[in-house]
Amino acid sequence: MALRQGKREAGCVVDPSLLGLARSARDALDAVLLGHDDAKTGLVLALLAREHAYLEGPPGCGKSALGGALARIAGARAMHASFHRDTNASELLGAPRLRRERRGNAERLSFELMPGPLATAEVLVLDDLSRAPGEALSPLLRILSERRAAGAPLPLETAIATAGAADLESYADPLEPSQLDRFAIQVRMRGLVSGRRFERARALLDRDPEPPLRAVLETDQRHALQRATRALPIDPAARAALLRAVERLRAAAGDEPALLSDRAFARAAPRILQAHAFLRGSERVEPIDVRALRFMLARRVPEALEPFVAAILEDSLLESTPVPAPPASTRPAAAAGEGGGPTDSPVPVPGLETVPAPIESIAPQARARGDDDAASVESLVQALLGRLERGAVARGEDPGGQPRGWRRMRRLDELLDADPVDALLFAKGQTTTPRVYRRERRNAGGTLAVLRDVSASMEGRLSRWAGQVVAGLVRTGARRRMRMGYVEFNHEAERFEAGGAFFHRRYRRLLALASRRRAEGRTNYEAPLRSALAELRGTAGRERHVVLLTDGVPVLGDPSVRNERALARELGVKVHTVFLGLGECPEVLDEISRETQGSCFVARPRPDGRVTVRERKGEGEH
Amino acid sequence: MTHGLARLRALLDRHVVGHDEAKDALLLALVCREHIYLEGPPGSAKTRMAEVAARGSSLGFFFYQMHRDTRLSELVGDVVLERRALAEGEGERIHQTIEPGGILTAEICVLDDISRAPGEALNVLLRILNERKFGEKPIPLLTAIATSNPLRDEYYNEPLDPANLDRFAIQLRVAGLIQSGDRSLARALVDQFADGRVVEQPEPEPVLGRADLDALHAAQARIDVPAAEKDRLIEFLRRLVVDYDCDETNSLLTDRSFLVKAVKLLRGRALLAGRERVEREDLAVLNLMTTFRVPEEVHEKVPELIEEIVA
Repeated sequence: MALRQGKREAGCVVDPSLLGLARSARDALDAVLLGHDDAKTGLVLALLAREHAYLEGPPGCGKSALGGALARIAGARAMHASFHRDTNASELLGAPRLRRERRGNAERLSFELMPGPLATAEVLVLDDLSRAPGEALSPLLRILSERRAAGAPLPLETAIATAGAADLESYADPLEPSQLDRFAIQVRMRGLVSGRRFERARALLDRDPEPPLRAVLETDQRHALQRATRALPIDPAARAALLRAVERLRAAAGDEPALLSDRAFARAAPRILQAHAFLRGSERVEPIDVRALRFMLARRVPEALEPFVAAILEDSLLESTPVPAPPASTRPAAAAGEGGGPTDSPVPVPGLETVPAPIESIAPQARARGDDDAASVESLVQALLGRLERGAVARGEDPGGQPRGWRRMRRLDELLDADPVDALLFAKGQTTTPRVYRRERRNAGGTLAVLRDVSASMEGRLSRWAGQVVAGLVRTGARRRMRMGYVEFNHEAERFEAGGAFFHRRYRRLLALASRRRAEGRTNYEAPLRSALAELRGTAGRERHVVLLTDGVPVLGDPSVRNERALARELGVKVHTVFLGLGECPEVLDEISRETQGSCFVARPRPDGRVTVRERKGEGEH
Repeated sequence: MTHGLARLRALLDRHVVGHDEAKDALLLALVCREHIYLEGPPGSAKTRMAEVAARGSSLGFFFYQMHRDTRLSELVGDVVLERRALAEGEGERIHQTIEPGGILTAEICVLDDISRAPGEALNVLLRILNERKFGEKPIPLLTAIATSNPLRDEYYNEPLDPANLDRFAIQLRVAGLIQSGDRSLARALVDQFADGRVVEQPEPEPVLGRADLDALHAAQARIDVPAAEKDRLIEFLRRLVVDYDCDETNSLLTDRSFLVKAVKLLRGRALLAGRERVEREDLAVLNLMTTFRVPEEVHEKVPELIEEIVA
């Protein structure tokens, strides 16, 4: 559907020259980076709407370049902050000021912040936001949403944050949803190479070196744009479509965590819709502008839903009642305006055009709701991962870790890591030992043995499902750089080594094994556990896990695996069990998991072909 | 212009036997102003090579031996607590600044045993390397050379984050001459020490100046990259992604490295070969980029893949 810039008539709300300016700002971003239309348009929407934006993507895809460029093009007073694990609040908010007052013999000390660069910035670029510790972020994010600091209003218009994709930055903590919600615009970027867009990649090689960026807007113009955006009326039909879209998104997300907050969708979304309407040259917000919601969703809906977002938004448009033909002075609704006259030359804004999706595309929503194999595998792997990490998340204190709070100084050389005010007072002999950062580090790495039942009953669907679970574990293990070992078992255990070692990091090879289908022989728990534990005996480290996938009751070997349970306890290895199928889950699986502080899951295929996953806790199934 | 480089290469040869690939890679890093990461077992001349290359070019030099408790202040300079009295009755202002030193003032630096530093402490360092600025201030650093021992078992140590390794455009594995079974080189090495040549050798003299390096860097940027070679680069990436299943979970094929830096390295290699345009054989540099960016078993096939594409 072509979005068009109509001829402006007298009395129009939108000044065509302003529209031209907004579009040239958008186009100027093309000089910075090839492609990434969604991110570029998202940023311009944020600027027009005076909302904050969040760009997430793998390293080296141009996130920071884009954020910096917008600030430059917008002609705004910009502040850049690069976040790292030692970022502290005062770097952003200003230097701490110590106030001392004498009162007779006593001295009163108080502490306040002097305004820092934040006090003057109009556009804020927050690079690698997720690397900063939460303590530094909380005050900052509060200021972002209030746009006030130390009681005074800030000139801040838009903050642009960038962050690496959560799974690549294995040392960074993902940002919390509550923090992310302050960024109305959220766009995920993908690399050209890893996203398989080779033609674009080739085109990038031919690009000439970038010319230096010029400011496209002046402060007055920027403010005029923002005012004009804010003044666009929002049709009742558009409001209805907005609500419908949010309801549909919520329904599609099902039980998965989705962050569809009032703040984002009642307060920020209308402004984003206004900006979208403005940018496409409309003088009113129409249902079609609900498409702009897709620039808001990167971290608000589950990633699995992402491919279907455009279709869901399209559906909420199509059901809207057509806007009654407006009086002559206004333009027809864009949804009905496809056959425009020759004077209405289409001015496509990249990223603003959504490919209309057929209405039957609701079907995929079912998938995201957890109604088929892929989704249930995903939820099981996530649950297992949670258990695997339970120990790892308990961080250990480490001098190289992230600051996670305060403790008293123990050695003098820790003074460098002390609270500056405390350190000063300490140096003057006025306090006891100062507070220093308590640094903790998550225990990355770890060792995981996957034991997969391939006995005769493990066939067809069950086998495929088990393979998907193994593949999910391998992918997750790869992200955490775990060393993994793999055993297939029936009456005997078959170990798969790589490079002469049982535990290794050849994830690709493990994935190939996971897709194998084999179903023969009878079930024996003892052999695989013995085999894996013997290997684990030769390893060290705190995070050592075994995942046992089975569909049957052991008929060979020691059915209660007494020796193996004792050995696992002795080694401190956690054994997690997953029982697949309709039969009764053997009590022994429960016992193994409970004794070794592992977890026990039961996955049951249902008559309608779905799989439900449940965790067994304590005695019996709940 | 390339005479300086030839002198530096000769200097490396005088001090270190063998390791042709690593020496060429070091020169490439200097010409392209990229960072380089050498991984190899203890005693395989990694640090020596890095040091000779660094000292042989008369640049501001910083050497740092990483250790388990490495802290940022040891790398970037001293932390200064500044206290300033404000106007009467206004109290005083306390400010923490860094007196730049170490990596912030060096033009070339050697970071020895980089994997020994705590994983997260590295993040800041690698960020500085990547952006070549600290805070908002650009730093004069041209090239960082990092070395590390292979992590066979990281029982007590974290593996280097692959995203961190991406900061080093050039990455290669170095093997000891004796271990790799090259008898003639091993013999030459033994001779070198037996003759006492190495021990008596003075510290390497600078053979290459800043002006030479600036000229080389400028010349590199002028090297022509024909469309056919760009096509081959894309074909190489396509094959890695499509045929070898390299994706975001197992590899780091970032646009910055493979669409920007790779082209620079192609040019650099052409320059080192004394040419004014990139030719197909220059694609061999891609092997220096994939070492730790794709799974090990894929990297083993990369030379084969390059040969197929070049053929």
